Amino acid sequence: MSGQGTRDGAGLEVRDAVVRYAPSGRKGSRAAEPTTAVDGVNLTVAPGEVVALLGPSGCGKSSLLRAVAGLEPLAAGSVAWAGRPLAGVPVHRRGFGLMFQEGQLFAHRDVAGNVGYGLERGDAAVPASARAERVAELLGLVGLEGYARRGVTTLSGGERQRVALARSLAPRPGLLLLDEPLSALDRSLRERLAADLREVLVSTGTTGVFVTHDQDEAFTVADRVAVMDAGRLLQVATPEDLWARPASRTVAEFLGYQAFVPADGPDPLGVGSGDGDGGNDRGLAGTGGTAGAVLAVGPAGLLVSDDGTGPGGVPGEVVTSRLRRGRVEVTVLADLGEGRRRLTALLADPGTDAPDDGATVRLRLDPRGCAPVG
Amino acid sequence: MAVTPVPGRPAPRQAAQADPVGAPRGRLRPGSVARGAAWTLAAAVPLAFLAVFFAWPVAALVGRGFWLDGALDLGGFAEVFAETRTWRIIGITLAQAAAGTVLSVLLGVPGAYVLYRCTFRGRTFARGLVTVPFVLPTVVVGVAFRAVLAPGGPLGFLGLDQTFAAIVMALVFFNYSVVVRTVGGLWERLDPRAEQAARALGASPARAFRTVTLPALAPAIASAASIVFLFCAAAFGIVLVLGPTGYGTVETEIYVQTTQFLDLRAAAVLSVVQLVVVSGALLAANRTRARREQALALMPEASAGRPLRARRDAASLAVTVAVVLGLLALPIGTLVARSLRASDGAWTLDNYRNLATTGGRNALSVTVWEAAAISLRTAAVAAVVAVTVGVLVALVVSRRPRARSGRRALALLDSVFMLPLGVSAVTVGFGFLITLDRPLGLDVDLRTSGLLVPLAQAVVAVPLVVRVILPVLRAIDPRLREAAGTLGAPPGRVLATVDLPVMLRPLGLAIGFAFATSLGEFGATSFLARPESATLPVVIYRLIGKPGPENYGMALAASVVLALVTATVMMLAERLRGQGAGEL
Repeated sequence: MSGQGTRDGAGLEVRDAVVRYAPSGRKGSRAAEPTTAVDGVNLTVAPGEVVALLGPSGCGKSSLLRAVAGLEPLAAGSVAWAGRPLAGVPVHRRGFGLMFQEGQLFAHRDVAGNVGYGLERGDAAVPASARAERVAELLGLVGLEGYARRGVTTLSGGERQRVALARSLAPRPGLLLLDEPLSALDRSLRERLAADLREVLVSTGTTGVFVTHDQDEAFTVADRVAVMDAGRLLQVATPEDLWARPASRTVAEFLGYQAFVPADGPDPLGVGSGDGDGGNDRGLAGTGGTAGAVLAVGPAGLLVSDDGTGPGGVPGEVVTSRLRRGRVEVTVLADLGEGRRRLTALLADPGTDAPDDGATVRLRLDPRGCAPVG
Repeated sequence: MAVTPVPGRPAPRQAAQADPVGAPRGRLRPGSVARGAAWTLAAAVPLAFLAVFFAWPVAALVGRGFWLDGALDLGGFAEVFAETRTWRIIGITLAQAAAGTVLSVLLGVPGAYVLYRCTFRGRTFARGLVTVPFVLPTVVVGVAFRAVLAPGGPLGFLGLDQTFAAIVMALVFFNYSVVVRTVGGLWERLDPRAEQAARALGASPARAFRTVTLPALAPAIASAASIVFLFCAAAFGIVLVLGPTGYGTVETEIYVQTTQFLDLRAAAVLSVVQLVVVSGALLAANRTRARREQALALMPEASAGRPLRARRDAASLAVTVAVVLGLLALPIGTLVARSLRASDGAWTLDNYRNLATTGGRNALSVTVWEAAAISLRTAAVAAVVAVTVGVLVALVVSRRPRARSGRRALALLDSVFMLPLGVSAVTVGFGFLITLDRPLGLDVDLRTSGLLVPLAQAVVAVPLVVRVILPVLRAIDPRLREAAGTLGAPPGRVLATVDLPVMLRPLGLAIGFAFATSLGEFGATSFLARPESATLPVVIYRLIGKPGPENYGMALAASVVLALVTATVMMLAERLRGQGAGEL
């Protein structure tokens, strides 16, 4: 089985999209001004590709998704699917699937009734026998064989989302839009479902746009990730590229990079030396060290040297140490060039004991955990 | 807002774009126009109903007061307001409504706590018991309170028969359930963790209630209070039956002025006064309702509640038990007991046997059983009409247009259909008489068709139907409709598969409310029903007015019958009621 997306030529094209919301408040108050949720966004999604819209809450990613679905009007710009502009095409004629955070299942229908909803009437309607077959097929796909006659209120949160996924896939949508579909679930379930979701989307060849504020989720599900902030797209790239070369400081900060150091300056931090006993190398190997270049220090980009007395590195005061996912994480107060602040460092040699609280340690960078910005 | 078109219409910007060849846009136009037309029609039918059977009769009656010899004459205002009697009547009306409202709220809030926040055996039964008075016909309530308070009654020693206090007590009896249900419905869905957080921060139970729970409940309390105020200000049957001689409210005064003094000018002026009071209360109700629907973090389902503890909940429990026993059960019990006794105090079924007659000295034109049959038929027609109109109104008002003007129009529509709740039923009834002899120039006299009474009753019942169904429709997560849309359902199918199934649950309750209200409607019916087609409340009122213990006994028995029928209808409706349906 394959989604329609693989047969269509151009996929999704969003051009200069602007979404504004009508003022909600009374005249004179702040809420009396229209809010611009999406501010001139350009985005292309190739057929069969899954793109994640990643950003903090309120950045406009859901509004963009709703505009693509046809649930919000565009104030400017255009959305096209397979080369055809969608202006004026109502929601139910777009042939897109949409999956919400809480599933939004129809409580008065059982599982099969929900999954088969899009197949009963309209553009994707099929006869009852074919419908039953398709419902069974989809329930198998999402791992819910034999659930057809269950009431949806008896399902767990994860099962509900699986039903919602099956429901939106049943009419073979050209494009599946997912609005934070996993955010209401707990962590372990979320991680498992994200992997399952990726598998289902790939195996059905469905083109997808996936909205989330969780980068792990975005990286698991999507081929490319689009980072959004304040209504604008900051960067669109594969997870690897995004992590290796964040386009701006904002993107890097959102990804969890904790500090920024000049990439071409004097190098007490040991940038470019993996073994920690140098400290005199200059610039970051391979980045060219252009003037003004900045290096982002990732969550695993800062190391605590073996002892606090050796040469090189920057001094840091240990605030506390704790074990997280099997690794010792040391919280230190240190100045990497932008003032003294709290940073997280890892032990250079994981075999050693964590330093005492209050101790002074030497910190250096691990190039594998750092990335050039821009 | 130029950038936010109403649904179904392309945004201006998009409309200005060149229409690409082969774009599926062309298909949209007819559907969208048809949809617009369908919603316009859905709004037009109830508006036409309201215009012909409410606005026109009321306007015609009021107009007669101000239209003298072909010219507008507002002298009636000066004349009527110059009389001290008018000011006394307005004062009494406001005092009566205020006292009834304050007492209902003070007693109702503890009741809401006990019946909706606590769990105990028999809670469902207790909730049902509390609901019964609201749908009891006003005439029955009046008769029951007289049976309690009259000399010889269980509370006869208080000397409260036919006093202001008696009326207020009856009003509280009536409206207690409005407060309990409105406040309780919100309370049971309030997230208890907010109060628990306050307690964990060191607040005493009283302080946690005062600083956390009460503010959260305030919108529901205000909303209930304004509705209760409305009912109390417009009470008619109760005042007529229980009021001391010479006692009058605006509502009864309109009745007296039109029927006894034939002074339409005075009646018209008073109708306007009534309208002002009612509009004020409705405006307050609407404001608080809107706030309530937005501002609270509610749980999707009713919380389980906590077990009732005699010690912790002593105060609330005592108040509630006292109200349920003393104020609700006592009058009903007394009514039933007295209906089973002859005037000499002996137990007998004579009063019920007499229901097959037309009363002592032929007090009536029909037997009480015949009147009961007429009542049922009339109420059935009224319920069908009211539910049809009310459902259309609820469907239209529950839409969420993008444009602010659209939202305003819907809010206005919502308020307009609440007006019949408070506009004097007497005015409606009398207005019917003077306008519907040849409605819209048609050669049909509605007055002899037998439709007049059910239509008037339907006008009164429509607001209740709307208030039951609308909150349920509004509670539908808009994303549910959006999900259906993205699955390929056109708007019509979204309505049929998302809205309709949800609406079916409170529909039973709405039908019950409409039927029960119509059964007990007295104000308009007393004007319109001819002697040979009198309904039960009208018959009961005539029986109390006639001399003779036989007629009084029949009135008691007939009241019991009417109460039983109404209570049965409501019980059945309550069975059909879905969770969280409605406000009343």
